[in-house]
Amino acid sequence: MGKTLFEKIWESHIVVTKQNEPDLIYIDRHLVHEVTSPQAFDGLRMNNRKVRRPDLTIATMDHNVPTSDRSLPILDQTSAVQIKTLETNCKDFGIKLFDINSPNQGIVHVIGPQLGITLPGSTIVCGDSHTSTHGAFGALALGIGTSEVEHVLASQTLWLEKPKTFEVRVEGKRSNPHAVTAKDIILSIIKNIGTAGGTGTVIEYRGEGINDLSMDERMTICNMSIEGGARAGLIAPDQKTFDYLQDREYTPKNYESLVDSWKDTLKTDSDATFDKQFILDINDIAPQVSWGTNPGMTCDVDEPIPSPDEYSNGDANQKKGAEKALEYMDLKSGTMIEDIKIDRVFIGSCTNARLEDLIEASKIIQGQKVTSSVNAMVVPGSQMVKRQAEEMGLDKIFIDANFEWREAGCSMCLGMNPDILSPGERCASTSNRNFEGRQGNGGRTHLVSPVMAAAAAINGHFVDVRKLDLN
Amino acid sequence: MKGNIIKYARDNIDTDVIIPGQYLKVHDYAELATHAMEGLDPDFHSKVKEGDFILSGKNFGCGSSREHAPIALSHCGVKAILALSFARIFYRNSVDGAFLLPIEIDQDAYDGISEGDEIDIDVSKNEIKNITKNQTYKMKPFSEIIGKIIAAGGLFKYKPDQD
Repeated sequence: MGKTLFEKIWESHIVVTKQNEPDLIYIDRHLVHEVTSPQAFDGLRMNNRKVRRPDLTIATMDHNVPTSDRSLPILDQTSAVQIKTLETNCKDFGIKLFDINSPNQGIVHVIGPQLGITLPGSTIVCGDSHTSTHGAFGALALGIGTSEVEHVLASQTLWLEKPKTFEVRVEGKRSNPHAVTAKDIILSIIKNIGTAGGTGTVIEYRGEGINDLSMDERMTICNMSIEGGARAGLIAPDQKTFDYLQDREYTPKNYESLVDSWKDTLKTDSDATFDKQFILDINDIAPQVSWGTNPGMTCDVDEPIPSPDEYSNGDANQKKGAEKALEYMDLKSGTMIEDIKIDRVFIGSCTNARLEDLIEASKIIQGQKVTSSVNAMVVPGSQMVKRQAEEMGLDKIFIDANFEWREAGCSMCLGMNPDILSPGERCASTSNRNFEGRQGNGGRTHLVSPVMAAAAAINGHFVDVRKLDLN
Repeated sequence: MKGNIIKYARDNIDTDVIIPGQYLKVHDYAELATHAMEGLDPDFHSKVKEGDFILSGKNFGCGSSREHAPIALSHCGVKAILALSFARIFYRNSVDGAFLLPIEIDQDAYDGISEGDEIDIDVSKNEIKNITKNQTYKMKPFSEIIGKIIAAGGLFKYKPDQD
């Protein structure tokens, strides 16, 4: 019987395998950031261990960094300490660091692919759940905790239970791909499979609807695999993948011959089977807006907010969850999504802060102004994205429309740097999580695509972007 | 292992409410513990006692990979989480650092156990006794692999069987 892409990558990385034991898996690339690594480095020091492969380990700072003027000192002392600690750890253990002043600094999941560090068929880990992003290149990319970070630093391996396989097949063609985006596809998938639908599995996204996507769009899809509970998400590499990685700063020298070998091997065999399957037809899908406090609580932009009964299908906990979510979000069932007014707009995060995201959002706002009641910001995913956008004049379009144009970082995705919502503020956000307090204590998050966020900034409420001329 | 139950009858308790992002910069575990569950239940720290168990619904610990989540709970004295299901990264983090036991329960246990009940968990028999109500439930056994990591006392103490 044939094998899936996941199984092929897994098997080619087994160091030790025994019945009824976990497999010891070799890790090709380890990405490190300032928040989940300090205790791991402390552990190495305590046990007199070195980093086994500093040459396969790359670090940057993204979670804590302010996105305002980089020439100013960091005011939050605990953030400053965590950032300084990463600098010290990288120096002591010989790890390459893209620090706050590096032209390559950025969100770890944005810079990996941009620098050619993320490669098809490789295993990649990072102490961050959104590591699944790198699966867009046909890599097996896993988010791990700090104990596992320490284990990889020390041994370049991990003891892992082999996950199950889950095929998510995306069929059809979007009639308006500028209005219905990759974000809307992945939110639709999570709405259908649920936030635990992928638990214990690695998703492979397949089908015409995936093949048609650009690399930036595929990263948005794989990024949110974790929001569907999956261990990782991946997409088989194709010519778009190979072209994207050509001539990047860290692309291997023997790239051509690597591509030849990937073309033969990195695909699911036609007779392979998956443990689970879900099919989404995207011919008629609408822009998506989350209304609740997990990414599965999402509906079409032209729908009313469902009642807890409609949402829960008879499940008592689901119903209670929806009731609590509506209370936290200060929303009522039956309210049309387009009638929800917003206070803030955040275009950023490892989900949607790449160049194409900014290009698409800029088309919406060109020549217009953010409505006076709304505060809107754009935070490019990396310094490279920022430079590329500025070369195209996108910064001017955003600034002229009264958006703030910021330095690269995780910013308002997760409320651990100065960019946070105030209690009660409502935000149209291109990030990945609408959990209670995620963007700041008491803040209310609606997950949307960059074009939906941009249109909301101009209008002060959600707008069905299919009604706008976007071509 | 005996303890009393703190029950959160809901699904999808995420790591952002277990330990909000602003505290991920806190290096001192005792201080981290004072903010555990702050996003969900501001009274948690005043009511939790050494040896307590948390009971909850499906997909406990979903979201971020922050190991701070099981660390904060364990440094409050929480010894086990009983839930209908767990998000995988939280589950592994709990076991890897030997912070607490993630125990998967069935609907009978979830419905039968109430806030404050005294519970006795016997991992060797995969059994949960409700001392308060004199009921017994089954727990889902740990996979062989997870059981071995738990028995070893965490990821760094685990060694595969030598044969």
